[in-house]
Amino acid sequence: MQDHHHYDSDLLVILRHGPHGSSWLKEGLDAALVAAAFGRRVSLLFMGEGVTALMPCQKKGPLGQKGTAETLEMLEMYDIDSLLVEEQGLSCLGLSSDDLMLEVTSLSPPALARVFAEHRLVLTF
Amino acid sequence: MRYAILLMGAPYSDQASHSALRFAHALVARGHCLEAVFFYHDGVHNAARLAAPPQDEPHLVDAWAGLANEHRVALQVCIAAALRRGLLDEREAARHGKDGVSVQAPFELTGLGQLVDLGMRCDRLVTFGP
Amino acid sequence: MLLHVVNRSPATSRVYQQALSGMSPDDRLLLIEDGVQGALPQLVRYYAGLEGRLFALKEDLESRGLLGHCDASVQVVDVDGFVDLTEEAERTVSWY
Repeated sequence: MQDHHHYDSDLLVILRHGPHGSSWLKEGLDAALVAAAFGRRVSLLFMGEGVTALMPCQKKGPLGQKGTAETLEMLEMYDIDSLLVEEQGLSCLGLSSDDLMLEVTSLSPPALARVFAEHRLVLTF
Repeated sequence: MRYAILLMGAPYSDQASHSALRFAHALVARGHCLEAVFFYHDGVHNAARLAAPPQDEPHLVDAWAGLANEHRVALQVCIAAALRRGLLDEREAARHGKDGVSVQAPFELTGLGQLVDLGMRCDRLVTFGP
Repeated sequence: MLLHVVNRSPATSRVYQQALSGMSPDDRLLLIEDGVQGALPQLVRYYAGLEGRLFALKEDLESRGLLGHCDASVQVVDVDGFVDLTEEAERTVSWY
């Protein structure tokens, strides 16, 4: 009983946590990178606090951990070029997409909801 | 339908694993095929061989093993998440020079690729988080 | 049509807002675990606009002593109903 819809992309990974405060961001990114390495079309959606994952000039964590900034800077190399950001997540923090380290597409609620329908698999982190 | 479950909560600490197990049983009772449960983030603690809850409390680790053995459900534990949290099978324990084994069959340490594969292959994937 | 699952109370977590912003007009929302508190008349207003598309898990309401206290607009389903909801939706998205 597989649905036979045409999907724009295979996997949507929702990243809702910022860097260093928990392992969610890294673990979500790892899943996205593995999927891309296996040839899947992957989109990343940064929601809520997750938008801070894209702040420029991040430094190491409390015990010298690398963090996720370096990996994000290399996303293009992994063939992940669909970077989506929840507009509300940015405005809540007084940020705009210009403040971020990478080019993103900013989405408001109706567009946001559509993105969920467009992907075969959605994983929330 | 073919289902997979992604579990990201540790047993006891929050309800995720209880909900996931209850859902898993309902799935098989309804005649669905539960292909696998994939354990990621703190969900890897569901594979802890040495868990010893009191007798009158649910034993999640045994319950997952029971489900696997009775209904042929694969129990796949993300190896990177597991190692970081001290969940090692015999092979990894030997590899890292550890004196003790904290994961055993039917739980299987595996890569994240398996999660992606499950998600693409199965008709439905349901996530339970903390 | 998607199924969204929320496991936290709207009184203590803003995760319900994330779920709502990701919902299309025909998507459904199922409240489980602590999320069933959102089915109380006092809190169900957080889910205004989901008429006919809001569900709560019976077993989680029962264990919390909340079974008789649900708002009339919430459809109570048991775990078999949960399975049905996941079958009927193309995909299930969990918010926690």
